[in-house]
Amino acid sequence: MYWLSKKRYKIGLLIPTLLVYCVFIILPIIIAVGYSFTKYSGIGKARFNGLDNYIRLFGDRFFWISLKNTMIIFVLAFTLLLVLSFLIALLLNNKLKGNDFSKALIFSPAIIAPIIVGIIWTYILDPSVGVINGFLDAIGASDLKQMWIGGDTLSPYSIAFIYFWQQLGYLVTIFIAGLKMIPEDVLEAAQIDGATGAQKVRYVIIPMMRTTISTVAVLIITGVFKIFEIVQQTTGGGPNHLSETLVTYSYSMTFTSGEYGYGMSLATVTFIISLIITGIYSFLTREKERGAK
Amino acid sequence: MINKKKKTAMYIAMILITVLVMFPFLWMIILSFKTNAEIMSSPLSLPETLNFDNYKNAFATLDFLQLYANTFFVCIASLAFELVITFCSSFVLSRMVFKSARLKKMIYGFLIMGLSISPFILLFPVYKISVALGLHGKVALIFPYVATSISFNTLLLVGYLKALPSEIDEAAVIDGCTIWDLMVRVILPMAKPVIATVVIFNALYIWNEFPFASVMLRDVTDYTLSMGASFFKGNYTVDYGGIVASSIMIIIPELIFYGLFQKNIVEGMTAGAVKG
Repeated sequence: MYWLSKKRYKIGLLIPTLLVYCVFIILPIIIAVGYSFTKYSGIGKARFNGLDNYIRLFGDRFFWISLKNTMIIFVLAFTLLLVLSFLIALLLNNKLKGNDFSKALIFSPAIIAPIIVGIIWTYILDPSVGVINGFLDAIGASDLKQMWIGGDTLSPYSIAFIYFWQQLGYLVTIFIAGLKMIPEDVLEAAQIDGATGAQKVRYVIIPMMRTTISTVAVLIITGVFKIFEIVQQTTGGGPNHLSETLVTYSYSMTFTSGEYGYGMSLATVTFIISLIITGIYSFLTREKERGAK
Repeated sequence: MINKKKKTAMYIAMILITVLVMFPFLWMIILSFKTNAEIMSSPLSLPETLNFDNYKNAFATLDFLQLYANTFFVCIASLAFELVITFCSSFVLSRMVFKSARLKKMIYGFLIMGLSISPFILLFPVYKISVALGLHGKVALIFPYVATSISFNTLLLVGYLKALPSEIDEAAVIDGCTIWDLMVRVILPMAKPVIATVVIFNALYIWNEFPFASVMLRDVTDYTLSMGASFFKGNYTVDYGGIVASSIMIIIPELIFYGLFQKNIVEGMTAGAVKG
C-alpha cells in the first residue's frame, strides 16, 4: 500500500524486531565464535589463544564419542521414525472406529516437556528400578538384563528410542495430512487396474508423498541435533561423558566444567554441522518447488 | 471392500500401538502411588495401598503455585511482546511498498535465517548479555524467548498477510483509516487464524523450555515448571516417588489443555512443521 508506506512508519515498525533479533540472536553468535578463540574460565578476562581450542577439540576423545553418539541416535531414530510413522499413518488412515482417539493419544508425548519425557523413561530403563529389567527378572530371564541407561554402550540407543517415542505421533500426524492430499481417484484407478495394497503403496502413495517424506526427514535430522533434556535427565552424559551428544557435551564443558572458551568452540562446531544440515534442507525444498512447477 | 479378517487385524494393531505408546504414562500414574521402598525393592509390583504420600511430599518440596505462576508470567509476557513486535515488522514486510525490493527481501531473509540457528550456541552469550543489561531471574527469560520466536513468526505472519488482497488497504485508506486503524482494526482481525497458530506453537515451546531456564534461573523462587521437574535430582537421596508425583502434577494440566484444544494444537504444530 503505497500511501502508507512512509519511511518513518517502516523504520518505526521494523526497529523493535530487528533490535531484539540482533541483540539476542546475531550478537550472541558473534560472541560465541569470539570466545571460541579464547581461554576463559568465567573469572577475569578471556585470553586469546588462537586455534588452540579447535586443535584440542580434534584430539579430544570425548568430542568424537559425542559425535559418534549423535550419529547413532540419528541413524537409529531416523530409520525407526521414518519407517514406522509412515506405516502407522497408513494404518490409521483407514476408516477405523476410534482412530481419531488413537491418533490423539499417540500424539500426546509430543506436547509434554522433554525434561518430563526423560524422567518418565528413567523409570522404564533404569537398570535397578526400571520396568524392563524388573520384567526380565519376573519372567526368569535375568540374563538378558542390560544397563539400558547409564552403562558404557547402550545409552545412545535408548535415547534414540525415547526420542522415537516422543516424536512418533507427531510425525504420524504429518504423514496422515500428506496421505489425505492424495486424490481419491488416483487410488481408485490403481484399484481398478488390479494393484494390491503393497503395490499401491510402492508405486502410487510413496511417489506422491515425496514432499511429505522429505519434510519429515528434515524434521528428524534437525530434531536430533536438539535432543538435550532426554540425555540430561536419563544419564547426564555419564558415566564419564560416555553418553554425551554434541549438544550436551558442549553444555557440560561450558556450564559444568566452566571452560567457556572450549565450550564455545564445541558449540560453534555443532552449529556448523547444523548449518550443513540446513544446506541439505534448502536443497530439498528447492527440489520440492521444482517438482511443483 | 476390506474383508473382515483384515479389519480385525487393523483394530488389533491400532489398539496395541496405542497401548504401547501410552504405557509410560500409565506406569507413571501407578508408580506415583507406590512408596519409595516399594519402587526400589519391587519395581514391577502394583502399589499395595493407594497412598498419596508422594503427592504430599511433592507439595511440601515444591511450591507448585509459584512454579505455575512463574511459567505463566514468562509465557504471557513473552507472547504479548513477541506478537506485538513481529506483527508490526511482518506488516511492513508483507504489505508496504519498498523503493528497493531487494532491501525488503534482504530484511526478510535476515529474519528468517534464525530458523537454522540452534538455541544451544546462544545459551552462554545470552546469559552474558543479560547480565550486562542487568536482567536476571525469570524476567531474563523473556528476551531470549521472544528472540528465538522471531524467525518462525515472521515466516508464518508474512506468508499469511501477503496473501490478503491489497484492495483491503486501499479501501481502508479511502475510508479515512490511518495506519494504526488499518493495522489494528482491519488487518489484525483478519489474521486471527495465523495468530492462533503462532500463539499455540510458541506457548508450548515456552511452557516446556528447559535449556535457557537452566542457565538463567538461579533462585528457586524464579523456577519455571521444567526447572521444578529437575529439582529432585541432585539431592543426596533420590526421592523417586516425589519425582514421579511432581512430574504428574506438571503433566496433567498439559494433558487437559491438550484435550481441550487438541485440534488447534495439532494444527499449530504441524503447520510449524510444514512451513518451518
